[in-house]
Amino acid sequence: MDKSMENKFLREKIIYNKLKVGLDVYILPKPGYSRQFAIYATRYGSNDSQFVPLGKNEAITVPDGIAHFLEHKLFEEEEGNVFEEYARLGAQPNAFTNFNMTAYHFTSTGNFYECLDVLMGFVGRPYFTDENVEKEKGIIAQEIKMYEDNPYWRVYFNLLKGLYHEYPVRKDIAGTVESIYKINKEILYECYRTFYHPSNMVLFIAGDVDADRVIKQAEDLFARQPVEEAGGEIERIFPDEPKGVAQARIEEKLAVSRPMFALGFKDEDITGGGNRLLEKIIANEIILDMLVGPSSDIYNSLYEEGLIDSSFGTDYTGERNYGHAIMSGQSSDPEKVASILYDEIDKRKSQPWDQDYFLRIKKKKTGQYIRLFNSLESTSIQFVSMLFRDINLFDYYQTIESMTYDYIVKEFKQLYNRSNSCLSLVLPKA
Amino acid sequence: MSDIIIKELGKGINLHIIPDKKFKTVYISYCFHRDLDEDYTYNALIPAVLKRGCKGYEDQKKIGAFLEEQYGALFDVGVQKRGERQILRFTMDLVNEAYTAKDGLLAQSFYFLNRIINKPLLENSAFREDYVSQEKENLKNKIQALINDKIQYSIERCIQEMCKDEKYSRFVLGSVEDLESLDSERLYKVYQDMIVSSPLDIFVVGDVDVEKVSFLIKNSLDLDRAQTKVIPETIIKRVGVKQREVVESMDVAQAKLNIGFRTNTSVRENEYFPLVVYASILGGGPHSKLFINVRERSSLAYYAFARLEKYKGLMLIGSGIDQKHYQKALDIIMEQVKDMEKANISDQEFTAAINAITTSLKGAKDEPEQLVSYYLGNAVTGANFTLDDFIEKIQQVKLEDVVEVSKRVKVDTVYLLSPKEGNSLNG
Repeated sequence: MDKSMENKFLREKIIYNKLKVGLDVYILPKPGYSRQFAIYATRYGSNDSQFVPLGKNEAITVPDGIAHFLEHKLFEEEEGNVFEEYARLGAQPNAFTNFNMTAYHFTSTGNFYECLDVLMGFVGRPYFTDENVEKEKGIIAQEIKMYEDNPYWRVYFNLLKGLYHEYPVRKDIAGTVESIYKINKEILYECYRTFYHPSNMVLFIAGDVDADRVIKQAEDLFARQPVEEAGGEIERIFPDEPKGVAQARIEEKLAVSRPMFALGFKDEDITGGGNRLLEKIIANEIILDMLVGPSSDIYNSLYEEGLIDSSFGTDYTGERNYGHAIMSGQSSDPEKVASILYDEIDKRKSQPWDQDYFLRIKKKKTGQYIRLFNSLESTSIQFVSMLFRDINLFDYYQTIESMTYDYIVKEFKQLYNRSNSCLSLVLPKA
Repeated sequence: MSDIIIKELGKGINLHIIPDKKFKTVYISYCFHRDLDEDYTYNALIPAVLKRGCKGYEDQKKIGAFLEEQYGALFDVGVQKRGERQILRFTMDLVNEAYTAKDGLLAQSFYFLNRIINKPLLENSAFREDYVSQEKENLKNKIQALINDKIQYSIERCIQEMCKDEKYSRFVLGSVEDLESLDSERLYKVYQDMIVSSPLDIFVVGDVDVEKVSFLIKNSLDLDRAQTKVIPETIIKRVGVKQREVVESMDVAQAKLNIGFRTNTSVRENEYFPLVVYASILGGGPHSKLFINVRERSSLAYYAFARLEKYKGLMLIGSGIDQKHYQKALDIIMEQVKDMEKANISDQEFTAAINAITTSLKGAKDEPEQLVSYYLGNAVTGANFTLDDFIEKIQQVKLEDVVEVSKRVKVDTVYLLSPKEGNSLNG
């Protein structure tokens, strides 16, 4: 099943192929690039803490942080570890776990096909022992403590804790020092078998590579290293999320120079994945720019009054089951910033922005989208993360183009409500 | 990618063009070189004040609207430390007009940058007072915000302690004391000095025509230049040092151990190439001794690295650990350093390092910003190695050279950022 997608506007194409085992493979040819980048990702993140394991009937709840723990442990091999293999080939390997995905990737500038075999080989070959699982706990405990000391990280995760009552996005991805000590090799294997079937995964490659060779090599690998029959749709259990926020205000004291804040708005208009979600994401990015972007009135008056500085920024997250908008930064008086932002929101609901402004921001979004395709790494990660929401990144441009002013005004009025917001603060320890 | 083309545009102004069809953007950076002298706080403040507005684009709102109109061109300024000099940078990253429905994006970017740099808003022969006072406050907050990132903070503190009596101890963003007593007239004088006499390197990376770019820059840039100042060379200590220990306590969950070394090697020496390999074997990634021994074998840390401060001839080792494992971690780290000197380096370790460095250098060709960073390094040191020349030099390094250069590397300062008593969590 061979399929190519072309995007004339970007002058890019992507070659798609579904392997016999059910793995989706995408290749973005990038002539002229020195690097090759490959990312092998599964639809499995820290949010998947309750599910029915493959071949079982009953749902289980696993310790927090297990998806991330599993990511660390997959690098372990019966003989040596994967880092040595990559080091021999000169590639730079890495991996990450977020709320909804776990991904393994490498960057190479040679030996690409061998590196690809290493990547697909080790991800398909778990090797967990009591000893190597214990060994990892010390390392991950230090990773968790590193983040405990990171106020930029804390202000964000505390905000999610404030916005959500039940949904697992309120929990730290890596879990806690206590929760990771509950992890053992049996639960790791259970999670692995459930979530690491190739039919639940995507391989995305960007670079100056031979697509036919990649496909053939991947098919050969699964012939050598066979996988179990796919178990069909994985049953994931997510708690019902009550309306409204869990806490309107949340604060923590840390060794920081001055207060940090994150003001979040919880989106209760849940769309699931696909084009409706893509429209929502783009609309909200445009809204945040119009509301508090660098050429907005409010950004400039806050800046000139010394209430915010260039650390101020915004972000919209749109997932299948949840979404939120965030405005964050550092300020000597974050409560005042929040109150001015609330007032501005109220004002804009009755007096929205100029149409011209909207068109200008659309141009900016178009430019951002074009720029993304300069970077193999960013394009690949973005493409996969969109795929996991049933969105094709190539549809982005068309969606910006057809975005209407009425839609963004409607979306703005829907999402930005004081009752759905939380102010997270990190304050200096006295 | 084509090779880099370097042209002299006038007194102390060099234009570096890297034409490359694969990029969808054009990346432009104007870099002024300043000595890291007693004016270092003034140097750091200048780009921030200039960024606020100029004739034609009087405030951030106008600048913001202009950039949005240019398909979201990214404009930024900043200051970097490269050895004992500061680089004041003015950067634009814009979508190549071939992808847009609009002509003249490139020309407008050069025009805009010239105005920002060269046509500031003045009051009584100084910068607009409100912009200066606001940016003073912002810069002060930025300097103090170093403490928010404990990894960076501990590295910076280690360097400050280590280079106490050298100008390299000056923080790249300046000092709060200087800001408090800032003299606006002097600020403007330092700026004028920059315009008139600081060496200037202009970088352009993207799918551009060399002649057109040269023409557009010449046409837009109207700096009133005099004789270019020579910036003093960075001093690299070549004397034996006595090991010092510094402990600082803070309310944190994790201890940060940083060790500063003198490599006694200048970036201009041939020994610099084996030194790069040395640092990679020791702590340059998952293939390195520190990663394998501190993290994988002893489970003491999540991160453990060694990196060079190449312009100053320093090496920094850093790791985040549990306070109670301080001595153990230090012993293991120092054992790895000794192993380097004792030539306890396997062929695999050596080859892995050469390969890792090669990959990262080749990879830099895919990132406009990394290309500029590399070639700006040449402008700082006076070297003229292309990326490919550099890769070749690295590949010629032999294991014996690495062992030889390891004898130059001397420990100077052991710095520990320690959690306050009773604050240590149990892992």
